[in-house]
Amino acid sequence: MAGSLFIFNSDGMLKKLFINFLLVAAVVAVLDFALGKVLRHFYFRESSGLHYRTTYSMEKADADILIFGSSRANHHYVPEVFADSLGLTFYNTGRDGNGIFYQAALLKSVLKRYTPKVIILDYAGDFGKGRQVYDNLSSLLPYYQSHPEIRQEVNLRSPYESVKLLSGIYPYNSQLLTIAVGNLDMNKKRKSDNKGYVPLETEHPVVKEYFNSLIQQPVDSNKIESLREFVRVAKASGTRFVVVYSPLYQEHKRYWEIEICETICKEAGVPFWDYSRDSFFVQQPDLYYDPVHLNHKGALIFSKQIASRMRDVLH
Amino acid sequence: MVFTSVNFILFFAAVIVLYFSAPLKWRWLVLLVASYFFYINIKPVFAILLAAVTASTYVFTRLMDQTRKESRKNVYKVINIILVLLPLFFFKYFAVINNSLIAGLQGWGIHWPLPEIELFLPVGISFYTFMAIGYTIDVFNEETPAEKHPGIVALFISFFPLILSGPIERAGNMLPQFRNPVNPDYDKVVKGLRFMLWGFFMKLVVADRIGIYVDAVYHNIPNHNGTTLLAAFFLYPFQVYADLGGYSLVAIGVAGILGIKVMDNFRRPFFAATMAEFWRRWHMSLITWLTDYVYTPISFALRQYKLWGIVYSLMITFMISGIWHAASLTFVAWGLLQGIYLSVEALTNKQRANMEKKYKLANRGWYIFLSCLITFILFGISQVFARSANLQDAFQVLGKIVTEPGALFIGAPSILIFSILGISMVMLKDFTDEYYPGRFLLFENRNKPVRVMAYSLVIVLILLIGVFDGGEFIYFQF
Repeated sequence: MAGSLFIFNSDGMLKKLFINFLLVAAVVAVLDFALGKVLRHFYFRESSGLHYRTTYSMEKADADILIFGSSRANHHYVPEVFADSLGLTFYNTGRDGNGIFYQAALLKSVLKRYTPKVIILDYAGDFGKGRQVYDNLSSLLPYYQSHPEIRQEVNLRSPYESVKLLSGIYPYNSQLLTIAVGNLDMNKKRKSDNKGYVPLETEHPVVKEYFNSLIQQPVDSNKIESLREFVRVAKASGTRFVVVYSPLYQEHKRYWEIEICETICKEAGVPFWDYSRDSFFVQQPDLYYDPVHLNHKGALIFSKQIASRMRDVLH
Repeated sequence: MVFTSVNFILFFAAVIVLYFSAPLKWRWLVLLVASYFFYINIKPVFAILLAAVTASTYVFTRLMDQTRKESRKNVYKVINIILVLLPLFFFKYFAVINNSLIAGLQGWGIHWPLPEIELFLPVGISFYTFMAIGYTIDVFNEETPAEKHPGIVALFISFFPLILSGPIERAGNMLPQFRNPVNPDYDKVVKGLRFMLWGFFMKLVVADRIGIYVDAVYHNIPNHNGTTLLAAFFLYPFQVYADLGGYSLVAIGVAGILGIKVMDNFRRPFFAATMAEFWRRWHMSLITWLTDYVYTPISFALRQYKLWGIVYSLMITFMISGIWHAASLTFVAWGLLQGIYLSVEALTNKQRANMEKKYKLANRGWYIFLSCLITFILFGISQVFARSANLQDAFQVLGKIVTEPGALFIGAPSILIFSILGISMVMLKDFTDEYYPGRFLLFENRNKPVRVMAYSLVIVLILLIGVFDGGEFIYFQF
């Protein structure tokens, strides 16, 4: 039976394995540390694009009006309209593909530095279960170490996120080319944002089937809780705070999501402006880029309407 | 708990410690408990099916073993095959048949009494069912004695590295290893870790990255032109190879660390010069299973038809393989295409051999390359059917590739660039293994610093460009 109990008698195998494992781990740690530092340096050196806009939103934005939300926020609120109409500075922190967790984390970072006069949350109404919003929290990984206030949200990605983030490279996973392009200034398109707002110029064919696929799904309580927290934190900050559901090309069958949003706002005494069924926007193809995004023309009209209502709120 | 999750790494570390700490005679029990824990972790209720298939297989193989009468043995064999196939058929085909009947009979104004249903396929059911059937037939053919220990049979059918997507192992190889576990061996452990590392690379860096592009294209076929669909056409076979090939390597590596040798599942398939050779290199455990338990008996029964008997056998075998993958017309077409490819090759084998001999083509680089490329394209065409949601989509993809050239959809450039980088690395490794075996070694280099750097760089590459939010393995759906 000699050697049958591996833990107690493995003829030096365990020691050999352990030493070699340590050797590989040490080399990986050195490479990871060095490469992580390089990536971090160049990530925060970017001066345009998504990375830059997130960094700016979290660490530098000091505008009077801040827009929060996903791609619908980013493409629906035109800075000049708000600046001209309200006489206030403006920044759009909306980011494509990012949901309420990202927005809640961003809000905490902003409020740690200052309190904007106005916060508009454009809520995309996504309470359904699905991994995508969690996965997209990867956009906050570079800020995890330096911004403890966002950890609650980032940790929703997985129970092991804090362990994974011991790696220097992991926060920049899959970002190598984007960082390179951002630093080489090759992609002129990245310059096109205007105080965070990125206009959508092209009109796309409207895909009606899109809406039929968006019927009731199981509800994700994390998302509801996160929206509730956003509303609570924003309200408590003393800012003028409004939640908006911006226009859609076609009425959809997810009223239940809008109702949840409306209820949360009502409970907190926060205005909720629902444009999802606004006859001015519904079925107007020339105002849309695709079924859920206004083009620049649509965004201008919509921004004027919001700015006008906002003026009433402020005065 | 997929292989690429942190949970699996923790689970496996615990299994290693428990397995090698346990006395030799109880190691089967550690693996059995671990295997059921692993499977229950996916969905507890599925373990009941697994246990039922195991119980049936154990009882009937034991009965076969105790019976001298050939006819009775045959009855036991048939009963067990039917019993273990029942859950597979029910979960895989019942809903399709039922829903088709509803739709079909509605047209005739006939009311079908059952409602439309959608069943959730127990993951791995196809794989453990095939292993149970293989074992039953092997016992019937007296190629393997019936195992007396129910725990060992249960372990064979539920062994966690293999249960979800194979390789589809044989009782003759596995049962003796479970019965006589070995002590840890340094070389085996290191070899297993190498397999796991390369498997993770294939899955996370290659398969899941390609998957982002291929999914984006196949989810929106009408809005993509032929050039983009052609790119997806070329990428998808690499995705499947990296996905199932990567999974298989991790499975083989995991088993290897535990001292259990599992058969290879892929051997550089894209260096196959014919479809017949391709199928000796692609999903080898499935194809050898089909050869032994489907093709050989059929071709034996049809031997009087000589070459045409082989053609019929090939067609039937691959149709079964197609339907095994999924109860859909796309997979019927997939099986049909494979059957046609192999039949044409079988029918023209002599002429091709003569031509190669006459023009001395066999060793010409360009001829080998062209043959490999044609084989890849033929396989790629069949994979369009495998990837498409329905036949209409598949024909649309193939039609647009030929008729609608245009600008390539790139999306995020990093997706295509990282995909190509990953494919290049996998193909370069396969190329050197194929044509320069024993040379240009990295993981197995004699020089320790080279080995250490190779491991480290692959780990760093996984961290740098691996897709950590990717989906499950493609073959989980089968």
